[in-house]
Amino acid sequence: MQLFIDQLVNGVTLGSVYALVAIGLSLIFGIVRLINFAHGEFFMLGAYILFFTFVQAQVPYGLAIVLCVVGMGLVGAIFYKIVYEPVMDRKWTAQLVATLAASVILTNAAILLFGGTQRGAPTSLSNQVLILGTLRVSYQRLLAVAVTLVAFFLLDLFITRTRIGRAMRAVSQNREVAQVVGINIRWIALVTFTVSASLAGLAAALIAPLQTISPTMGALLTLKAFAIVVIGGLGKVTGAVYAAFLVGLAESLATVYVSSEYKDAVAFLLMIAFLIWRPRGLFGQKVGI
Amino acid sequence: MQTVQRGADSTIRRPFGFAPRSFGVWTVVGAVLVVVPQVIHDSFVLDVLILAGLYVGFALTYDLTVGYVGSLSLAHPAFFGIGAYVTGLLATKLHTPILVNLIAAAVLAALFAVAVGIPSFRLSEYSFAVGTLGFATVGQVVAQNWIDVTDGPLCVTNIPKPAIFVTIDSLPAFYYLMTAAAVLILLFMHRLIGSRIGRSFKAVRENEVMAESVGINPLKYKMLAFSLGAAGAAGIGTLYAYFIGIVCPTDLALTGTLTLLVILFIGGSGSLRGVVLGAILVTALPEFLRIGDQWRLLLYGVALLLIINFLPNGLEGLFHRRSRT
Repeated sequence: MQLFIDQLVNGVTLGSVYALVAIGLSLIFGIVRLINFAHGEFFMLGAYILFFTFVQAQVPYGLAIVLCVVGMGLVGAIFYKIVYEPVMDRKWTAQLVATLAASVILTNAAILLFGGTQRGAPTSLSNQVLILGTLRVSYQRLLAVAVTLVAFFLLDLFITRTRIGRAMRAVSQNREVAQVVGINIRWIALVTFTVSASLAGLAAALIAPLQTISPTMGALLTLKAFAIVVIGGLGKVTGAVYAAFLVGLAESLATVYVSSEYKDAVAFLLMIAFLIWRPRGLFGQKVGI
Repeated sequence: MQTVQRGADSTIRRPFGFAPRSFGVWTVVGAVLVVVPQVIHDSFVLDVLILAGLYVGFALTYDLTVGYVGSLSLAHPAFFGIGAYVTGLLATKLHTPILVNLIAAAVLAALFAVAVGIPSFRLSEYSFAVGTLGFATVGQVVAQNWIDVTDGPLCVTNIPKPAIFVTIDSLPAFYYLMTAAAVLILLFMHRLIGSRIGRSFKAVRENEVMAESVGINPLKYKMLAFSLGAAGAAGIGTLYAYFIGIVCPTDLALTGTLTLLVILFIGGSGSLRGVVLGAILVTALPEFLRIGDQWRLLLYGVALLLIINFLPNGLEGLFHRRSRT
């Protein structure tokens, strides 16, 4: 029972990180209909920004988080300009292959520039543990979950209340009509890439202190985030959030009750099950954000 | 539209798939392919040629799904890996001959393709890409962790050399085997895409709704292309396992898909000539430049981005531009 509760807590933390990454992916898919293969590399770059600012330059952790978010927003904008905009009007396969190329470039450039060695960026919170009866949780995990929830809240406000957020939803619902009423698709796409890369940067800033940092850390994450996006229903942001927690919980429970070797396959098995029995995702609605 | 008509033309005027005037060219090409190992004894060059032959077959079978029915599969290296593992395990544990292993590998891969294809084709073109990707990832996880059978990261080793009439254990022998396989796949593809089935593939690619309206079942033809490609990849995997003598979980890795996509995009997807040229170029060039793995992948990535932007139809597009002006 103790083990079960511990794994539930782990699952929730894992789920909140998956959610931050998957939301970005889902936003990009929902608004510009692009499957972004380089999304895990956004997370990886975010982790390196944390390493260089927090560990090497000794910037305070709070400021380092801000730098991660802003820095990745910038990376997202550059990515839009160099990778996406040139292929914007091409077939979706060409767009997908462009992001795949970008992912390979980023990973291998990171290996060549930063070296293949694993790095760590533990914060003072990583080793402090909150003890509630028999339950032990590190403060870093609590911080990750709390900040994630705040980020969801702000993102929701942004998408539902601001003018540009409404324009993003309009584009996701009907691109042509959105253009007819004067929405600039390029501008919306730029904002979408910036926001989703910053979310990946935030996820990295929160969870990298609990992991090792390496150039290849993003690869599996991209794939899992895809599985989550499919489970949640392609292009549905709220669906992706629930699916992220579902996958996080399933994965940490499977680690203990099935086998730790196969935990990385859990997300995909769930995805395949959903494709067979509920191809429209958790909530069974049409595509949209 | 244009490609559909070219395909239709070729079957009407060329009953054996080739125009009579091109027989001369093909005889020369065939003669060169046969003579090469008699003239070149450098084992490095032969190694590269064998690798190039392997990638020609590998890329052609991949293009069946990507280029002819227009579905982006990301699981091709997984089928290759299935073939390699089936062969490695059968040959080391049961000592079965190459032909049995080849058939077992191809049949198993085709069955897997059907099992993956049915759920993945269901929702949309995107879900096919994601579904095949999931399958490829699970495949690698299984190869890595099913220690009892695959030996995990320790790999399947000591695969005995195959025998077809004679034991194939030298570089020239493998060169002939691989070249024969590549040529067979090329001929098969050539006949297939000129046939009724091939025209149906292209109809599905160009316009699914229209294809359905003339009685072509898109799902059936997509599944056919996908499972044929999978069987072909597994066959190539069989030859690879014999050639290298060792099969590892990394053989199933996603980087294989990247190499294939570079080949297809450089050469021009949906064109036999383009894909063959692309495969030779992409495999041979990094070997002769003798660059490290990271630089090679970086180069592939940059090349891919540039090609997508500036040469949308690959080398094949260059041929066409020239022949039109």
